[in-house]
Amino acid sequence: MIVDDDVEDHVILEDYFSDLGLKHYLQFASDGKTALELLEGLADNELPEIIVLDLNMPILNGTQTLLELKRSLRYKEIPVIIYSTSENDNEKSKCLSFGALDYVVKPSDYESGMKTVQYLRSLVKNF
Amino acid sequence: MKEIVSVSLENDMDLILAHKRVMKVCELTGFSLIIQTSIATAISEIARCAIEHGEGASLKLGIDGTATRKYLVARIEDSIDFSLKCQEALNYAKRLVGNIEVIKTPKGIQIMMKHLLNFSGTFTPGKIDSYADYFKNEPAISPYDELRRKNLLLQEFADKIRDSEDDYRTLTDSLPLMMFTLNNRGQLTYSNKWIEQFLGIPPKEITAAAWQNIVHPDDYATFNRAVTAALQKATPLKGQYRLKEKGSGNFVWHMITALPLKNEKDAQVKWMGFMVDIDAHRLAEKTLKDNMDLKEVQEKLFENQQELQTKIVELNRSNYELEQFAHLATHDLQEPLRKLFFYADALKTKYHDKFDASGLNMLKNMTNAVSRMKELITDLLNYSQLHQQKLDFNPVDLNVTVQDILKDFEITIQEKRALFDIGPLPLVNGHALRLRQLFSNLISNALKYSKKEVVPHIQISVSQTDEKFVFLVKDNGIGFEPQYKDRIFGLFERLHTRDQFPGTGIGLSICKRIVELHHGHISATAVPGEYSAFEIELPMAAVVN
Repeated sequence: MIVDDDVEDHVILEDYFSDLGLKHYLQFASDGKTALELLEGLADNELPEIIVLDLNMPILNGTQTLLELKRSLRYKEIPVIIYSTSENDNEKSKCLSFGALDYVVKPSDYESGMKTVQYLRSLVKNF
Repeated sequence: MKEIVSVSLENDMDLILAHKRVMKVCELTGFSLIIQTSIATAISEIARCAIEHGEGASLKLGIDGTATRKYLVARIEDSIDFSLKCQEALNYAKRLVGNIEVIKTPKGIQIMMKHLLNFSGTFTPGKIDSYADYFKNEPAISPYDELRRKNLLLQEFADKIRDSEDDYRTLTDSLPLMMFTLNNRGQLTYSNKWIEQFLGIPPKEITAAAWQNIVHPDDYATFNRAVTAALQKATPLKGQYRLKEKGSGNFVWHMITALPLKNEKDAQVKWMGFMVDIDAHRLAEKTLKDNMDLKEVQEKLFENQQELQTKIVELNRSNYELEQFAHLATHDLQEPLRKLFFYADALKTKYHDKFDASGLNMLKNMTNAVSRMKELITDLLNYSQLHQQKLDFNPVDLNVTVQDILKDFEITIQEKRALFDIGPLPLVNGHALRLRQLFSNLISNALKYSKKEVVPHIQISVSQTDEKFVFLVKDNGIGFEPQYKDRIFGLFERLHTRDQFPGTGIGLSICKRIVELHHGHISATAVPGEYSAFEIELPMAAVVN
């Protein structure tokens, strides 16, 4: 599940996935609240294998969403990767302490984007 | 004896008066006409002798005795014993009234006649006073009598006035107050002792001209004008002037008051006035005023402080808002830029084959432009973060810091074959990351603004005083015109075109800010074509936070 208010980032990620020929199911939400509602509607076996979470979002931002997820018995086991533009050390250590698996900076060129997607893929067993 | 009336015995007129008075006293005290006549004749006989042979004799008539037994008493006194010269008269008198006694005293002689009063109890002191009053108000018996009485009255008044004047003088002399009277020409006619005591000038010498030496030079003009005006118009004078004290030579504040006195015809006759020491009063007044002034100043100061406080709060808020804005703006600017770069890069990578040489060049220029903007935004972000942060200071070994920086610039240093001359650097208390940024920017500049044909030589040294470290980062590069030595620290200030030297014009602003955050000072010197040198002062006390 990709949680990001930036639709272009959805598209970029989708393109990478198709470029790599990966068979997968990507679910998108444009803010934390929508994401939580989407999760609510899913059966236990439909829950995403990984959640990629942007930080700067309207309504419910990344940090708040992360806290909600880690507080919930149902979602706390799902690995969360923070996916943000800013390379802020404070922000990073905060997110990690809240239970995020990693903090990934959004790619600034094609090559680094490719690496990021491959990294995400490596984290998910069933690709 | 309680006296009713007295008569001095000097001449024949007195004799008549004495006879009449004795008759009247006898009448008032209730004796029959026969007894009246007998007593009066007897007293007159002795009085005649006293006038003839005595000197300054007097006759006193009164009542004496106990509450139940009272006598009418007639007493003739004289300083000369004339009794031997008038035995005949005395004998005659004794025959008339009996009870006549001659007493010799140290002062002279007393001839006393006593006659028992009927109904003694009725002669109360009040009644006796009323007899005395009768004689006081008794109409003049003769012109002589009247003259004489007026004379006595005058004498009495003169005595009273003399007494009163004495009292007045004693009183005025004992007061620490200068009192005076002036005639209508302004000349001193009376002054109490205090005037001489204070001014040290005998009253005779206090002329109009003398005042110039008495009144304080600063007050004299006003004083002179006031006095002249008062004398001309005959209006009261009142004013505060400093007068010179004889003893100390000090000038003491006095209140001078003079009132014109007029006679019944409303003509100006004289002046009466006083001068009172009001120095303490003036001092108290001045202190009070000073206090008030002080209080006012304090209040004003307090107001200003509050205003300042408000302004500081406002400034802080607006600063904070500005920083927030800068931070957000740069952060939000970065995002579309990242996409722009990403797409250009994706195009170049994924669709490389589909572009001709010109298209690829455009893509290259596009990514270059985006890179520059990214650099600019990163620097701006850094700069704005410098304003937001409150730095935590720790001990920083600058030797390590500089070596780390040199590793970062390894490639450039190799390319340019740059030489470094780095003296032993101290351990300072500061913010490690920011100090690294500071030296990194300076070293980066030194490498960047080097001369093409000359090997860059960069020196980093430190000198130390009791209070501060002074670092010097000096190169042998292109330098700059000394007139720009302050401007170069301004935000976005650039001395070269981008073609010559790329850059954002933020680097030195960041340096300046970092040094300021360490309570230090940075300055630059340069000679065009020879060198640039940056001097950084870091106070030790402040560096040890």
